Amino acid sequence: MFHVITGGSGSGKSAYAEDCMMDYHKVGPLFYIATMMPFGAEMERKIERHRKMRAGKGFHTIECFYDLKSDTVSEKSYILLECMSNLVANEWFRCVSEQPDTCFEKKTIDSLIEKIWVGVEELLEVSENLIVVTNEVFSEGEENTMEMECYKQILASVNRKMAAAADQVTEVVYGIPVKIK
Amino acid sequence: MKMIIGGAYQGQTQWAQEQYNIEWIDGADCLFQEIYTCQGILNFHLYIKRILQAGEATEFAKELIERNPDLILVSNEVGYGLVPIDGFERNFREAVGRICTELASASDEVVRVVMGIGTRIK
Repeated sequence: MFHVITGGSGSGKSAYAEDCMMDYHKVGPLFYIATMMPFGAEMERKIERHRKMRAGKGFHTIECFYDLKSDTVSEKSYILLECMSNLVANEWFRCVSEQPDTCFEKKTIDSLIEKIWVGVEELLEVSENLIVVTNEVFSEGEENTMEMECYKQILASVNRKMAAAADQVTEVVYGIPVKIK
Repeated sequence: MKMIIGGAYQGQTQWAQEQYNIEWIDGADCLFQEIYTCQGILNFHLYIKRILQAGEATEFAKELIERNPDLILVSNEVGYGLVPIDGFERNFREAVGRICTELASASDEVVRVVMGIGTRIK
């Protein structure tokens, strides 16, 4: 069972994702893959808020900022990954700083998308149940820098791949789950 | 409480005004206190922006539910773009999300308007 949950900023998608996982979870290890880097006071506050929210729910937290793989989780586990938009940001901005000359080339971007997707596939293989939280960042008319435009493109591609493979896709609108698939 | 929401220029204001023949105030320029006694408020997101500019809004949703439980509010949905660089803007979109989520849970009806068409999501 693969469920992709999306929503805008402050929409309650995390709370909804945790509730879903509590419903799905029967027997088996329960993992929370956290992708947000503790970078500055605002991020730390966000992380703290999330920690409090899932305290006492039995999650074993794994931090994964890059290189999503399944070797840190056990077979038949229940996994909640939060969130794809941070993982993609970490991967993309590392790519920009390490390969400034080639990062905007199509093949670099394609291989980054593929790498992230392979990580998701690995999780799908080992898990009994996977929920991935992602983010709606695509409805703004502002002109973006090339870097931000590519970021959106990569995240959107990963989202589309996930949605195609998912059993369920839900958009959370102000705490209200709206079924997409 | 009832909420009518939608992205910029999606027709949520017109939809609400056609649906409900009541006195509306405008979140862009009403007095702060008016929200507790009015029947309906348009541009609720701008009201939130103004209270944030004036200070904190942590207890605001709770107070509004208590003091004006039959309010009909119309708001833009914000927070569907990249995280803004400006700290106030970041705070604003997050606050609109959190406040509207709390209000939606207290509402008996939430309608989302896309291209003028309202869909009841709650």
